[in-house]
Amino acid sequence: MANKYLASIAVGLYSILIIVPLWLALDRLVWVAGYDVTEWLSSLDKNFISQGVLEFTILQALLSTVATLALGIPIAWQLGRYHWPFQSLIRSLLTMPFVMPSIVAAMGFMHIIGENGLDIRTNRDTWFLTLIIAHSWFNLSLVIRFCEPVLSTLEPSMEEQLRLLPGGKTKWDRFRHLWAPLLIPSVAAAACMTFVFSFTSFALVRWITLGENTLESMMASIGSSSGIKGYMVSKNEIILGSSLIQFTILLFSLWLMSWLQHRRQTLLPTASEKVVKKKNALGWIFVIPALLFAVLPLIALAISSFRITESSANGTKKYWGTDGWEYAFTSTASLPSAWDALYNSVGYAIITLLIAVPLGWILAQSIRDLEQFRPKLARTLDLFTMLPFAVSSVMIGLGVMLGMIRINAEFFYSMWLTPVLAHVMITTPFVVRIILPALRSLDPSYDECAQTLGLSPFKRFFLIKIPMLRGSIIVASIFTLAISMGEFGASWVVTRNSDWTTLPIMVDSIRSIPYNNSLTAPAANAVSTVLMIIALILFVSTEKFRAKRDGGMF
Amino acid sequence: MLKCRDLSKSFEKILFNDFNLDLEPGEIIAITGPSGCGKTTLLRCICGLENLSQGNIFLNDVEISNMPAENRGIGLIFQKPVLYPHLNVEGNLRLASKEGDSDISNALIEVNLNGFESRKVETLSGGEAQRVALARALLASPEVLLLDEPFSSLDEELSGKLAKEVRDLLKKRNCPAILVTHNKTIAKSFADRVIALE
Repeated sequence: MANKYLASIAVGLYSILIIVPLWLALDRLVWVAGYDVTEWLSSLDKNFISQGVLEFTILQALLSTVATLALGIPIAWQLGRYHWPFQSLIRSLLTMPFVMPSIVAAMGFMHIIGENGLDIRTNRDTWFLTLIIAHSWFNLSLVIRFCEPVLSTLEPSMEEQLRLLPGGKTKWDRFRHLWAPLLIPSVAAAACMTFVFSFTSFALVRWITLGENTLESMMASIGSSSGIKGYMVSKNEIILGSSLIQFTILLFSLWLMSWLQHRRQTLLPTASEKVVKKKNALGWIFVIPALLFAVLPLIALAISSFRITESSANGTKKYWGTDGWEYAFTSTASLPSAWDALYNSVGYAIITLLIAVPLGWILAQSIRDLEQFRPKLARTLDLFTMLPFAVSSVMIGLGVMLGMIRINAEFFYSMWLTPVLAHVMITTPFVVRIILPALRSLDPSYDECAQTLGLSPFKRFFLIKIPMLRGSIIVASIFTLAISMGEFGASWVVTRNSDWTTLPIMVDSIRSIPYNNSLTAPAANAVSTVLMIIALILFVSTEKFRAKRDGGMF
Repeated sequence: MLKCRDLSKSFEKILFNDFNLDLEPGEIIAITGPSGCGKTTLLRCICGLENLSQGNIFLNDVEISNMPAENRGIGLIFQKPVLYPHLNVEGNLRLASKEGDSDISNALIEVNLNGFESRKVETLSGGEAQRVALARALLASPEVLLLDEPFSSLDEELSGKLAKEVRDLLKKRNCPAILVTHNKTIAKSFADRVIALE
């Protein structure tokens, strides 16, 4: 059992890190905007900044969800039901987009539809479709991760028995009576997550659309002028109204997903993947386009970092070169070098790791211990640790920013470590979600047996628990590093008024330089390529240590 | 040596009530009873993995009722052998070893698994895994060894053979033991004394 004092300290620290900034931010916004909730909500429709934003946010999230399911389910079926050569490589490639920083995805799609690609970005219908496709690309792996394990490990006798019954004679019958009911919880859970991610998408919306806003991007853009008494009060109302709507929708989606996942866990008798899978030559028709879809934006991104387009009075000149890379890695009067951004990103990621992993682990262990003795308290703590999932990264960023203003703006803006606070808030719940299932699946007899062998709690921790949870700890650590390195929304809000930058923020900053500089696009793509390579290395490492494909989101 | 006085345990129902036992040095006792009668829980209470509702346990005249399991000096062999998959056979035995390599080799020889040091635990058969668990439990030099139906997952021939080997080993070491089982035949052949738990 986790030391109760340690658990109390962890819960206290977590509360300070998560609740206090959000509370201070809320308090600040309410101080400016007043307590009238109906005024907050109605301000969304009254103000030209926010008119139509909610409708657009919901519409694009719904369409993105439908498109992701339409693409993902056939691919998950092919991967789950049939045997493929290089199975693990195919699976890794198809699930890779999810771990890519959103700014990398945005730059990849920008290149495909931009002037060096299909050159169709300026058309309104095109960018909307591109946004939906980009969200599908990003979330495709969720459908695969949720559905494929159900398909690949279901005990074959379940289907064999049905084939011998009148209700399962045809493939359609079997789909209707067996596969559909089994898949619905996983599909619905994947849909919930896709909706959440599309609803709170920021980098893709910011760069792919031509100025259109979602709730998330709108809050990010107007957040910097909020929290000042008597100044642009309506912006504070808009942020409060948007936050309230976003929080409610995200909380409901996450609750629904949690409930569906719980339902799914109790249903399925499983067998070895090898027993279940057959060969299917025709399946390549699905798998090859899917693989191309998954890797194309990334390949395009890397190639485009070497493609330079110079426009002058004499016309346009295009050539290949490393000028974009040199531009990115050399500091200028207006921009620091990418080396500085890399240094900051790595530093923030390591410090985030050092705080979030121990904190998340102690919280997970506390929940696990409480589950055995005080299940209601365990459930409360479990929900408490999931709270940041219902708060988008921009909302977290605003929380940190406005929280800083309340405490000591000058001090926090000048402190290099400030973005770490946002990163810890974002990553700790992921650590809990990765380690808690591992703790739950750890057979208690391992610890009991060690007790009967006379091993002290200290020895049991280091000789039994850590080695047995090694895979989950490594996955949680790599995940923390990857999220922190690629984090965009919160960092964008927090670092706007400061001197430091991170790799994703630098991509955004370079790309924001007006177009008459021919090196901005290749330089932004060069920094994105660095981020992509880091994410790829971390992702490959994670795959190696993932103990089993349990259908979870990680 | 081991004295159990008025032991009681109840969850939603009473599992055992006013249970008394005296185990002498070198003695082997078997406790039999139907499934669900509380045999396993009794062993878990004696070794300290679970708390008693009431009663007292003495080992060599020292009360151990409230002592943590790791400090009681009582070993337990689980029904399904618990071997740590991140360690090989030698690593598993090292968890209980006080003297080092020769100690481990000798323990494996005693359970007829000579040369198994580097084997991965997932490659062991059910009988081999149970022997490794036994060797490890004995390496810890427990004052008393508890056995929770360790032969029940093996086939009849193997369980009879292993039961005889374990009994001989315990007698050779003069290690007192309590076996719980629902198999009365094994209980009679294994133990010096059989107690029925209703």
